[in-house]
Amino acid sequence: MKVAYIFATQRHNVSYVLAKMILPQLEEKRHGAAVVGMFFFEDNNYVLVQGNPIGARLHKVAQEQGILLMGCDQCCYEREIADKLFPGIPIGCFPDLYKALSGNPPDQVITL
Amino acid sequence: MAPALELTPMTATCRSECCSAAPRFTVNELFERGFRRRRAAPLPLEGAACADSGGNFAQFSLAVAEGRIGAVNFRCASCATLIAYCELIAETVPGLTTEIARALSAEELISTLPGVPAHKHDRAVLAVAAFRAALASIPIEQGKPDHEGRLHLRHPAA
Repeated sequence: MKVAYIFATQRHNVSYVLAKMILPQLEEKRHGAAVVGMFFFEDNNYVLVQGNPIGARLHKVAQEQGILLMGCDQCCYEREIADKLFPGIPIGCFPDLYKALSGNPPDQVITL
Repeated sequence: MAPALELTPMTATCRSECCSAAPRFTVNELFERGFRRRRAAPLPLEGAACADSGGNFAQFSLAVAEGRIGAVNFRCASCATLIAYCELIAETVPGLTTEIARALSAEELISTLPGVPAHKHDRAVLAVAAFRAALASIPIEQGKPDHEGRLHLRHPAA
């Protein structure tokens, strides 16, 4: 099964669900589903800023496993980080996300 | 012993970026203002709409008098970057002659507005193309500066 994650809420998702569950499982190649993409809203985008230690691990595993990472463009502009993300991580909105995933669409989209 | 605290009365509004009322040229703030402007009614001179392969479009309208741009409005796709670039044009060109406005380039927009990642710079090209299409819609006589007053001053007896 192929899944895409949308990080839409801000409480404990990046530091806990992503960093302590999803990311270690991806690194150990035992997540149980093929992750094709992750999209980040609001403050969750800070994980994509170059230098973020969780983001660095995520960027590495995404490159190795062909996972699309994308930040919400308006969220990134609002935080003035749009040009400070890890190399190759685009910003965009729904049309960009759907276009980017169209070649390898997920079976399930999971909103966290 | 700590020195006595000196209180100075606030005599002017803070003009720092933190709380200044002056508009800033950041993508986010241009987007906020542009989002409202693109809902405004078009001005008398409407240019042709321009589009890119990704489904983005932009269309400018102008008010021009005596060879100078008086006001600029636009309609465009909801892309935040495109709205910001269109708003940057709308805020900076009023008051310019049409000749000077024609020289506006996408490179100038890109350099004026830092913070946009490179893969979104093509939105500046679309914005400038649409703005130039609006300039092309200006009737020739309306696009010329009015020099009549100066002629009268030089030749009052004529």
